[in-house]
Amino acid sequence: MSTVRCVELCRTFKQGDLEVVGLDHVSIEIEQGEFVCLVAPSGGGKTTLLNAIGGLDRPDAGEIWIGDKRIDNLSKGDLAEMRLNNIGFVFQAYNLIPVLTARENVEFVMHVQGVSAEERRRKSEAVLAEVGLEGLEDRRPAKMSGGQQQRVAVARAIVSEPTMVLADEPTANLDSHTAEQLIDLFMSLNKKHKTTFIIATHDQRVVAYARRIVKMLDGQVVEDISQQPA
Amino acid sequence: MNIALHLAWRNLWRHPRRTWLTIGAMVFSNIILVFMLSLQFGMYAMMIDNTLAVFTGHMQVQVPGYKDDMKMRQSIPDAAALGATLRESLAIDTIAVRASTFALASSEERSFGIQIIGVQPEQESGVSTLPGLLREGSYLADPNASEVVIGSVLARNMRVSVGDELTLLGNGRDGSFAAAVVNVVGIIDSGMPDLDRSIAQMPLAVFQDVFFMGNHANEIVIKTADLSLVAETKQKVEGLLPANADLVVHDWDALQPGLKQAIQADLASAWFMYGVLIILVAFSVLNTMLMSVLERTREFGIVMALGLKPGRLGRLIMLETTLMGGMGLALGVLFGGGLVLVLGVNGFSYPGMEEMAEQFNMPSRIYPHLQLIPLLLGPGIVFISSLLASIWPAARLHLLQPVQAMRAA
Amino acid sequence: MMRSMVIVSRLAWRNLWRNHRRTMIMLTAVSIGVWAMIFMTALMRGMVNEMIRDTVRNLPGHVQIHHSEYRDDPSVVNSIPQPTGELLAALESPEVVAWASRVRVPAVISSERESRSVTLLGIDPARESTISFVADDIAEGRFLDDGADNGVIIGRKLADTLDTELGKRVVIMSQDPDNEIADRGFRVVGVFDAKTQQLEESFIFTGIKTSQKLLKIGDRVHEVAIIGPDFRNVAPMYKNIAAATGPGFSVLPWNELDSYIGTMLGVMDGFVLVWIVVVFLALSFGLVNTLVMAVFERVREIGLMLALGMKPIMILGQIIVESLLLLLIGLAIGNALAWLSVVPLQGGIDVSIVAEGMEMFGASAVLYPELLIADVIMANVIVILLGFVASLSPAWRASRYQPIEAITKV
Repeated sequence: MSTVRCVELCRTFKQGDLEVVGLDHVSIEIEQGEFVCLVAPSGGGKTTLLNAIGGLDRPDAGEIWIGDKRIDNLSKGDLAEMRLNNIGFVFQAYNLIPVLTARENVEFVMHVQGVSAEERRRKSEAVLAEVGLEGLEDRRPAKMSGGQQQRVAVARAIVSEPTMVLADEPTANLDSHTAEQLIDLFMSLNKKHKTTFIIATHDQRVVAYARRIVKMLDGQVVEDISQQPA
Repeated sequence: MNIALHLAWRNLWRHPRRTWLTIGAMVFSNIILVFMLSLQFGMYAMMIDNTLAVFTGHMQVQVPGYKDDMKMRQSIPDAAALGATLRESLAIDTIAVRASTFALASSEERSFGIQIIGVQPEQESGVSTLPGLLREGSYLADPNASEVVIGSVLARNMRVSVGDELTLLGNGRDGSFAAAVVNVVGIIDSGMPDLDRSIAQMPLAVFQDVFFMGNHANEIVIKTADLSLVAETKQKVEGLLPANADLVVHDWDALQPGLKQAIQADLASAWFMYGVLIILVAFSVLNTMLMSVLERTREFGIVMALGLKPGRLGRLIMLETTLMGGMGLALGVLFGGGLVLVLGVNGFSYPGMEEMAEQFNMPSRIYPHLQLIPLLLGPGIVFISSLLASIWPAARLHLLQPVQAMRAA
Repeated sequence: MMRSMVIVSRLAWRNLWRNHRRTMIMLTAVSIGVWAMIFMTALMRGMVNEMIRDTVRNLPGHVQIHHSEYRDDPSVVNSIPQPTGELLAALESPEVVAWASRVRVPAVISSERESRSVTLLGIDPARESTISFVADDIAEGRFLDDGADNGVIIGRKLADTLDTELGKRVVIMSQDPDNEIADRGFRVVGVFDAKTQQLEESFIFTGIKTSQKLLKIGDRVHEVAIIGPDFRNVAPMYKNIAAATGPGFSVLPWNELDSYIGTMLGVMDGFVLVWIVVVFLALSFGLVNTLVMAVFERVREIGLMLALGMKPIMILGQIIVESLLLLLIGLAIGNALAWLSVVPLQGGIDVSIVAEGMEMFGASAVLYPELLIADVIMANVIVILLGFVASLSPAWRASRYQPIEAITKV
């Protein structure tokens, strides 16, 4: 199984003359099928950690393992391949390609993977139904609400059955009702597919659902607690 | 710096790549325009000078109709005297009298039909370069000697050289049979095959004698100091002609109508091409300015909400275009002018130019000069058309509704 | 890779129409550029081809045979025998469309009032009418009946300057091989019009046998003019004929007979290429600009696609496909416009206001635009190839974005 294991990750950024610490010797292990919330204030390092795990960014030091594969030293192309096949992403906003319809957005990853047209069609239809977007398959993002757009993003993230879904502030732009629905969706997908969910957020509504909460501050893990979800 | 100017300048450099690309399009076209127009203007001046200098002169006094028919009896009475009067009254030395006819010229071995021209030996070199282009022997000297100078190709075809005799057979002015034996004293090599194949000159007095011309001749050739003096001199000459004589003055344009038309035809096709380049640049500017306006919609909405009139924003857009166009103009003139200067030293040629040049009496390598008109004309038009192209984007601002604009993404 | 091209092209196509104003402006520019490339080329080609056709028709033919000295010394003595044997066989071979032999000497023609030097051509009317202009352009009177016809045909301009006309007598003087004056009176039986005054002034025609008798040259001639199927490709015919003629002859194709016209063909090829490239370069600034803007506006999307695992090469491909789509549509419109503007002009464009200027260039007063497939293909290929090259830089930049930086760019 694909356990995520981070060992002593360090990452600093240059902002003008300032050195900003993103990650400061972070070590963490996340089992397959966990539902983890990374909680931190702005600049606390949660997005940096998420990006590192997702292979979008490379740490300055330390190791990242997914299962028995070390990913922090992979080439760009291999990283793209790894993201394509193992990881689904849901970002805060601008999640969708504006010129593609909901279905085409969902099929996008499968297109790149080279999945046949029939299979793409079947899977995208199923997954759009699963996230509750039946009938909206042929709409373009501009014609959908924020919540619907995030659902499309979720559908896209899970359609190729990744081992984990990384979500960065997925509820930031949503009203609380829509946000709750989205979290419900995450929860049910987590249960059903045993997909690992790692969600970076400071939204308390989300935190309440998590079984494990990793609190970060100034690039360090300050608390790692397990709880019974609400 | 003026605030509007400052703002326009800053706005221009929000997208340096885009601005440079647009300026690049202008500079590219400007360099081509400066280079081509300098080349063309230089070539035209040379075409005119070279063509006229060889033989035609800047204007000729003739009997009406002679220009087209070139009949011997379309002649000017007492021509040498009229020539002398003109020379004196105009205070121009470069005036010469000629007569011409066609005759069969025979050497020992060959006979050819040629055009033979009677010239005033002491005056001819003032209006024509041919007396200076002798390959062998000397030019005519004695106005009363039965001598002839002929072109090099003609000499070869007739198998004659300096010292040989030619027999001329033809008709006199009255239609009677005319014949003469003349000595070849010089061979002209102008480098122009058509001319070298046909030219034959003998002293006017002898010509008049042989062909029963009396004191008549066919043309009085006038060369002015500069092409720009032609119109003025022509008027003076017209005033000096005897009142009762049926004579006309033709300027070079009438004598060589092909020359001006060749230039016009060449310019017309060239302007079609330049027009296309200029339109393409204008589209480039239109595209850039429209993008620039569209992406600032929200910003414009805010300043309009603050009370700025659309007209001022429109002027800002025009000012930005002016700055961009000004840079395109300056750089285009700079690089284009530089290119012309470099080629002015090293010369310019292209494959096939030699044959083309021969057709128009031109050297096969051309050295363009930097002149104000070709330097500024093209870039100026590009600049103006750029401004015209930005009118639409600027005018669109009048349609802008502040509230909607502020909401625009 | 093939499968992903589907999504790449779909994205490129939809992105192309996102900023439809910009696309329309660029499309208009490309269409105008392509139209100008092809239209101008068609005009220039038409002019030069007409020049060549005229030149070829104005006596030289596609290939000419002379005495080896004749071109240097066009005298009556540098004559050649009528083609026989191997040469005759070569001339009768199927690759020769028509041929004619001529007597051609310098002469003086006199009316009772005026004399002019001209070139006298003794022709076989039946053969000559198949290869040169005279027979078609008789304006008054008649063409020669046969080789023994003792009338003369002169140009209209010459008739005017000589003050003569149809039915009147003129005297033609030349020399025989012994340099004795050969002269006799002729009756003007025909007057021809030609495209240039120079032709009307320079050439007079009589029967070949009549001229041979006048010049006392038996049945010898001075020139054999030959027409093949296509003036652009005279080499094979030329080689066969050259091989069939013995020493002492000179065999030359038209482009060497008239080096000015021959060079013009080459200069035109160069000009067409330069013109197409220059127009493309003028377009390329706008094209690259459009792509740069398009990429700039879509940084976040590009970042997203990269984050989702799209390979950079496919981002590159997407921008290039977008650029090529734009160019292809522009090419289609431009080609159509060029065709639409050339077709109604097939009848010729009258430029007679500058007729004498065109004559200086060796061209006629009517321009017939000619759309050559090879030129159209060249223009299209150049636009696509250079368009591809021009798109590489913005496309490359787009593919080099770091996904997270691109995504978080505001």
